[in-house]
This record gives sequence, structure tokens and C-alpha cells, in this order.
Amino acid sequence: MKLFLTSVLAIALALANTAKADTLRIGLLRLEQDPRYDEDMAYARIQLRPLGDVSTAVQMAISDMKILTDARGLTTVLSQALADETDLTTVASELASAGVTHLIVDLPAAQVDAVATVLADTQVTVLNTTAPDDWLRSKCHANLLHTAASDRMIADTLVQHAVSQKWKNILVLRGKTERDGTRTDAFMEAAARFRLRIVADREFDLSTNPSMREQNNIALITGGSRDYDAIFMADEIGEFARYVPYQTALPRPVIGATGLVAAEWHWAFERYGAPQVNSRFEDQSKDARRMAWQDWSAWIATRAVLTAFAKARGDELADANALLRAAKLRLDGSKGAQMSFRPWSSQLRMPILLSTHNAIIAVAPLEGFLHQTSTLDALGYDEREFACD
Amino acid sequence: MRFILLAIFLVFAPATSSALNTGRIFVSNEKSHDIYVYDADFNLIKQIETSQRPRDMKLNAARTLLYVACGDDDIIDVIDVETLEIVDGIPTGPSPEVFEFSPDESQIYVSNEEDSMLEIIDLLARITVHDVPTGAEPEGVIAPAGSNKLYVTSEVADMVHVVDRDKGVVTNNIIVGTRPRRFVITPDTNELWVSAELSSEIYVIDRTSEEITEILEFLPPGFRPEDVTPVGMALTRDGGIGLISLGRANHVAIIDARSKELLSYVLVGRRAWSVALSRDEKIAVVANGLSDDITLIDMQTYRPIRSIPAGRVPHTVVIDD
Repeated sequence: MKLFLTSVLAIALALANTAKADTLRIGLLRLEQDPRYDEDMAYARIQLRPLGDVSTAVQMAISDMKILTDARGLTTVLSQALADETDLTTVASELASAGVTHLIVDLPAAQVDAVATVLADTQVTVLNTTAPDDWLRSKCHANLLHTAASDRMIADTLVQHAVSQKWKNILVLRGKTERDGTRTDAFMEAAARFRLRIVADREFDLSTNPSMREQNNIALITGGSRDYDAIFMADEIGEFARYVPYQTALPRPVIGATGLVAAEWHWAFERYGAPQVNSRFEDQSKDARRMAWQDWSAWIATRAVLTAFAKARGDELADANALLRAAKLRLDGSKGAQMSFRPWSSQLRMPILLSTHNAIIAVAPLEGFLHQTSTLDALGYDEREFACD
Repeated sequence: MRFILLAIFLVFAPATSSALNTGRIFVSNEKSHDIYVYDADFNLIKQIETSQRPRDMKLNAARTLLYVACGDDDIIDVIDVETLEIVDGIPTGPSPEVFEFSPDESQIYVSNEEDSMLEIIDLLARITVHDVPTGAEPEGVIAPAGSNKLYVTSEVADMVHVVDRDKGVVTNNIIVGTRPRRFVITPDTNELWVSAELSSEIYVIDRTSEEITEILEFLPPGFRPEDVTPVGMALTRDGGIGLISLGRANHVAIIDARSKELLSYVLVGRRAWSVALSRDEKIAVVANGLSDDITLIDMQTYRPIRSIPAGRVPHTVVIDD
């Protein structure tokens, strides 16, 4: 377990009225050995996975917002911690005891759930940045907000595109991991709402075992069904998906895990100030890497907290927390829409990018997909569909 | 609107010739890296290839030279209004977006989007006099005459920085709505208007007290509040009428600039951006960033006259009449 403090010092900028100094303590908690960032997998997942941690993004948000927090007389102190799965909740409690009021977590869903549970009786608000699982939203932790898009939001984005392209028949290929199952279920639900037909739902296998060729041979697994317009893939590891395009039995596009991918962010996004966010990130990361969706989620989580403190009417923690959860937060994530947290699921409503490896094909919600109150709520579980466990 | 202000305070003209009143309309196109030039009858007469990513444009006071901030080449191109050729270039810091001349045209104030600086450049010596640190992604800049103050927005920090332009320091920060973009100042110089793109508001700031006095909101029929993303603004010379482009709500709001009452919503192209008024104030020209065209608005009837194709992602409109 490592615990270190990064304090961000003021750069010289004359302010007419420097208010009394106040300290805003933000924490960042990650796993020491997060399997999701396993470098052995990085090659296959190169389009989807960053090779580097999200702390750059958190620090970038603090420096982006510094002028604004300075104007409120606030000093932001970031406490970063890495923990094993075994001492994760202990470390989270220590951060809470050290005065952290907002804890950004880059953890899988089960660990987010554990941290939110252990901090339930503290003043800490936990911000989930990288766990997309909808079941975590349905837990309805009062102290938990989500800036990672939910699986259902990602699925709705893909389905909106399929509907607008008139891809009515879909072949589903899924991996064997739990996450692949979750992604597939979310896609099936979203597809059912828009009456897409699933022509077959097949599980692929990574082996070269000839007796499993129906599952590991790409021509066979994509053949022998009725005609389809597109192939949806759920492949968390990405090793199978990257070989599927251009080898399918029918010449059809591949979406989901490769080809056309839906995510919170992509470095190729060119509108709404996104190029400036990308180049700031590349400048500030140690290895000049490109900003991935995980980085964006951590950046916007930090920005949300700092915006709430800087713009709240009062100076109390409760004032900032109220604004953080209010519709009038009007958060800017450089995606051209004002964003806020849904009161029913604590999920950040946001546009989702549909991208290939180097281009943004569309931004959801796509034109024509409407909602009675906010078009952004056409993505993910709407209030009436959502229920706490 | 801004070049009209400059014309009033014409002190000296660096170029030899005087205003030609060509009636030409210039439109900078961010993604095709050129400027479309239309004659007074809106016929396309030339496409000037510029440095990469031309955005904000201003005429000098004599209206003989057109300055164009080119964001990806870190330069302000200077175009001769008569010959329509690039005759000069002013190097700037990274990614110049919006700029403004000092009233005597001795200095130019440039927001550098990439390195979060407001750069004050001496136009004759071509040296940077001050680099003023701002919040991330500075954008709108305005330098009213008769004052040593300069205003610049930070899109990311949601604030207006008040800068002392002689000393090159920030003297005050005014927190406004989300993603503040551009400015206009009323002709009586009392009010500073700021467009906040993502909170769908126009902030009216009293220049003496530097306090927000009013927040204007718009909603054309059939649109959602989140579609309203105001950016460009223009005011008539008498300060009577204001025009506000509403971005993805595809309309321009025309208001009584004194009472702030809405007069009309005018349907234009997709993502209405920069707005400019002709000198006789009979026509307004709006650049539409997502439909790659410009729309002409009849200012007597408040109706769109027609839309004309421009280059890829039109950014700013300047009219030389």
C-alpha cells in the first residue's frame, strides 16, 4: 500500500480579492494490480485500453480548474492511494479519516461496491470512473456517483446507430468472461427495445482446438445462420475481436468490441474543444499518450467536484454536494452538451462517441432519437425503467 | 460590430491606402483552410488559401487589411483587402483563436487556446510584450476604447478575466456560466455581454462594478434548452438591437438590446456561429458551422433571405462596406 500526497501550488496570478484559504481534499484510489490494465493484454486492446494510469487526468482537471478554485479561495489537495484487493476498504477508510471528501475510484464494479459500502457513514462522496456495470447503479449507494457510461448507455448508442443504418438483423458473438456476458445482455435489451432481430447468439473460443472449430474458426462462427446486417461483439480481452473484421462469412460490419466502438471519449474527436483537451492531456502525461475513455471519466469526475465547489452558493460541503447532484451543475465535458447526474441512478448523462480506430463516425444520441425531457436520457436506463435493488 | 468601434477611434493607418468600401464579405473556413470572398451581391469571387485553420478575423481601422488568426500554424495572416493576397504574417503563441486590436492599433491581443495565455503583441516591433496566464482554453477577447481594461474568457474555467493591458496582469475574475465564448460591449460602453455556450445564457456585466446584472436565456419554439448554445453576438451602432446566434438551436435571437426583450427568432443553418451586420444594418450574415453555409437575415422583416454555401466549418464573417 502506497499513500502519497500531491499538493498543487498556486501559480502567480494576481487576484483582486483573495478570499480566505480553504482546503479541498480529493482522493484517487486505484488497484495495485488491476487486471483490467494487465500489460499482457494491452497489445490486443490497444484501441480501447490505455497504457497508463488515470492520475494524469485527475491532476489535469485540478490544474484546469485552478483559476476558478483560486477565485473561491480554495486549495485543492490530491491524495493518491494504490491498494491490494485485500486492504482496499482499509485504505479507503484511511483516506476518509484523513479528511478526503470526494474519492475518485478507478476500480472494477465489485471493488467500487465495497468501497461505497464501507464509506456509507462518512462524509465521503465516491465517484466511479471506470466500472460500467448497471447492477452497480441499481445498488443505489447514496454516496456514489458514476462518470463511467453504463453498459446500457454503450449498448443504446450502438443500437441507435444500427437502427439509423437500417441494420435490422444482428449476429451476436460473445466471449466467456462475466463482463462479456454483461455487455451482451445490455445489448440484447437495447436491441429488443428497437426491435432489432438477433439472428444468432454465439460464444467464441480463443483456442485452436479443431474439435471446437464451430467456436474458434471465424468463417464458421460467422456462417451457417440466416443473413445478418452487422455483427455485434462483446470481447473484453479483445484478442478474438481484432481478427474478426474482413474474415467474416458474409461481408458485414463488426461493431461493439472492434470496428465501430462506443465509448465516453476518443482522441480523434475534433469538435467542442476536444482537441484542446486531448493535447493538454498528451502534454501532461509522462509518455505523451493519447487520452482514453478512462482518462476522460476521471477528468470529468474531478471537474464535476471542483465545478460544484467553485460555483456553489455557499461555502459549506453540503452546498457543493447539493450542486454536484443538481440539474443546474451544467458540466462541460468538451462533448458539446451540458451534463449533470441523473437523480434516479446517479449516472452522469452524457453524449457517447461512436468511433473507428481513427475517426468519430457519430455522436449519440443520434438525430431523431428523442426523449420527453432530455435527449441525453435516450441513452441508458430512464427513470421509469430504473429500479433500486 | 467590433470593426465599427475601431473605425470610430481611427488614430493612424499603417497602410498607405484608405478604405475602399468594397462591400465584400469574408468568411473564414476552419477546416478547408481558406477564406471565401463574396461581392456585395453575395457572388463568390475568390477563395483565398490561408495558413492552417483560419478562425477569427478583423479589419484594421482603415479597412485596408484583413487580419486572420490561423490556429494550427500559430500565425495571424494579413490579407490586402484590395488585391485579396496575403501580404504579411504576425507570429503568435500556440493556437491563436480570437484576437483584438488596441484602440490605437499599436498592439494586438491574442488568446492562445493551447497554452492558456493571452498574448499582447506589439504590432510594429512584432514582439510579445506580455504573456498573461489565463484559465484553460481562453477564447473571446475585447478591448474597449477609453479604458486600459481588456476582457478575456476561459472556456474551461468558466470565467471572464479582467486584464490591465498596460501592466499585463489579471485584476479580477468574474465567474459566469458554462463555457463562456464571446463578448460584445454596448455602444455606451457600460455593459459587457458574454455568451455562455453550454449553460445557454448571455451574461450582462456592469463594467464599472464588474458585477453580473442580468442573465438572458433563450428558447426558440420546438427546441430543448440544451440545444441552445449561444456563441456569436452583434449590436447595432445605436445599441438598440442585439443579435445572438443560438448554435445548435439553429436560430438567431433578435432582441431589444436595452430592455432585453425578444423581438424575433430567425431560422438559419445548422449550428449558427458568428454574426455580423452590414454597415447600413439592413442585413445580418450568420456563419453556420455544421451546414457549411452562411445565412443572410433581412433586418427590417427579421426573416432569412437565403443561405449561401461556404467552405468547410465556416467560423467568422467580416463585411467590408
